[in-house]
Amino acid sequence: MQTASRTIGFPNMLEEEGEKRAFLPDFIHSMAEMGFQVVLEKGYGEKLGFGFMDYRAGRSSIREGSRPEAFSQDIALILRSPHIEDFELIGKNTCLMAMLHYPTHPLRRELLKSRGIQAISLDSIRDDFGTRLVENMRAVGWNGLEAAFNEFEKEYDDLVRPDGRAWRVTVLGTGMVGRQVVDAATKFGRRDRNSRHMKANGEGVVVSALGRNITFQKGRVRQFLEGTDVLVDSTQRDDPSRPIITNDQLADLHKDAIIVDLSVDPYTLDADPPVVKGIEGIPQGNLDQYVFEMDDPKWDEIVPDAIPSENRRKAITCYSWPGIHPLDCMRRYGQQLRPLLRVLYRKDYEALSQSERFFERALHRAKLDTFLESTGAL
Amino acid sequence: MHKEAGERRDFLPKFAGILEKYGAQAVLEEGYGSRMGYAQDDYLSSAPSCIFATHREAYGQDIVLVLRCPGEEEMRWMKPGSLLVSMLHFGTRPRRVELLRELGLKAVSIDGIVDDYGHRLVENLSAVAWNGMEAAFQVLEDTYPPPGLRSPKRPPIRVTLLGAGAVGGHTVQAAVRYGNPDLQAELAGKDVPGVIVTAVDRDITGNQGIMQEILSRTDMLVDASARRDQSRPIIPNDWLAHLPKHAVILDLSVDPYEDMDGKHLVKGIEGIPQGNLNQYIFTPDDPAYDSIPDFVNTKYRRHSVSCYSWPGIDPYGSMYVYGEQLRPIMRTLLEKGGGENIHKDGSYFERAISRALLSNWPL
Repeated sequence: MQTASRTIGFPNMLEEEGEKRAFLPDFIHSMAEMGFQVVLEKGYGEKLGFGFMDYRAGRSSIREGSRPEAFSQDIALILRSPHIEDFELIGKNTCLMAMLHYPTHPLRRELLKSRGIQAISLDSIRDDFGTRLVENMRAVGWNGLEAAFNEFEKEYDDLVRPDGRAWRVTVLGTGMVGRQVVDAATKFGRRDRNSRHMKANGEGVVVSALGRNITFQKGRVRQFLEGTDVLVDSTQRDDPSRPIITNDQLADLHKDAIIVDLSVDPYTLDADPPVVKGIEGIPQGNLDQYVFEMDDPKWDEIVPDAIPSENRRKAITCYSWPGIHPLDCMRRYGQQLRPLLRVLYRKDYEALSQSERFFERALHRAKLDTFLESTGAL
Repeated sequence: MHKEAGERRDFLPKFAGILEKYGAQAVLEEGYGSRMGYAQDDYLSSAPSCIFATHREAYGQDIVLVLRCPGEEEMRWMKPGSLLVSMLHFGTRPRRVELLRELGLKAVSIDGIVDDYGHRLVENLSAVAWNGMEAAFQVLEDTYPPPGLRSPKRPPIRVTLLGAGAVGGHTVQAAVRYGNPDLQAELAGKDVPGVIVTAVDRDITGNQGIMQEILSRTDMLVDASARRDQSRPIIPNDWLAHLPKHAVILDLSVDPYEDMDGKHLVKGIEGIPQGNLNQYIFTPDDPAYDSIPDFVNTKYRRHSVSCYSWPGIDPYGSMYVYGEQLRPIMRTLLEKGGGENIHKDGSYFERAISRALLSNWPL
């Protein structure tokens, strides 16, 4: 149990220009109200239009500091994982909280371990049933589909096509993200857009979800691709070294079809085994650019030479879909994190127990030590 | 719970132990848990302070926890000021709300305990979808024409899903796995074509032409909708004529048929029977069709699968899940000394409970 006041630092995320996210003033105020001494890195929240005075709002326990200061408090909270060079800034007794993705980032994991960093991975905070407590799967599904139909809406008012055809969406994968995609796709990624479409007597959208017992059959998949307007990859593959849809299969999509990449597996050809995207030959986007026309010159820069990419359709792909609507996203993460931070105000990393209350158990599951122990690597 | 004979659920012995740990003494009705195979000793070994009493005595405690809503007589046995924790569905049961208030009872509706985003904290929607889908595929296996459901020579199974919300999402997952991952693995191992799920929402279901075309190639039609207007079906009975003869209808939304003083409420798929844990599979000539109200058209029939309480098919799994989900809720209620000390601006679980309090209804 802690007795002295705890400190928490908020470093800026140094990512692509389009990454604007920072925790909102309300959330920072609630940290101060819990009793934390708060250090915000200079410039925190500026991309969202907030200044330090919005964050401070008369509270003496909130102050500005340097990047090293923000990383050396009792807790350093940053949404996306810090870069390797930032790891040196993390204090000896600091608990790093970020989306660290232990299972898919072995190098990061090793570095955390070798430097003795106390880490809690936000994506590993789970309840007793394995459900993530800090997540925005809904935004992944809805933002991706919204972006795709934004493109079609440039051409068709209220998404009503002159030939009176219903829209066809084919979804690969039926996991947590896939479930959201089906819901989002039946509403064109936005409820207000769906209402306008219905008022305009549009023909609607038919969504087909395919699991892996269909996607392995090229002949069956072809029948679907031919009529598909939007092809969505929301899969989680057991074997990321093989694509689900090969580049030659994309020739079956009509020329105006759009591909939406929600699974955001990167091309990592030097890994063993190599990692390729689920839909072969599409680029990897980010918050700076997530729409790629077929003739976009960046296509060849991003897709490795060894990957076939002759067959192209407009691609919508983003490493961090929730970041497209940063305010909504951070409001959600803030609410999800508040009860967890309340636990961490009272207890430090070492003291977290798997046999205590709901949120403490969830935090315990997200400790680096717990992960390493489960893999026999501790 | 004194419901249909097929309703076997009671909270598990481990849950009684948890309540004891939180400072409560559990008073269990004689025979509690016996339909799930538990004896008194199982509860006593988990919660040594628990005692056994009559049905009526169990309702005389400070807090009464029962999963499905008790009947009126049982509510009248409760002490004014005591707290009922149950699936009370305030929104769709105005008469029940009135009665609880008239009796001076406090209440927490388990289905109304939601987080800051409106997500239910005590729910088993996954079981609704998976249990329903498993039962429906068992029926489809019987009705499916040669070469049969397990044949590599058959085409992919086509499931048409009405509604893409919370239950619909789980339904998609369950459907592509035949409601049974073992069966999926077995069939995939034999290169049997899988399942294609087509989800449609209001902008398609209102289009008769498109719907008839979709229905004509549907092997399983699933209602997972949450309608705003229950006086109109999504699929009128006449449309069922377009379904192949072997098709199975699965009802997951379990809206009832009801005559509300002349206003007729109907199921999303018109003309199918309402099932429960005693009977949830209906052949087209099942006598259950005779008890469907006359204002409902039942002319076109297919094999139907419908159950008022899908999670109850797996009582142990269901009560394990509910027990774990209710743990922090009961702890909060006990620590706060009941519902009256729960604050809407309190901790995460307090806020969630406050949204489910009768005293705060309507929100």
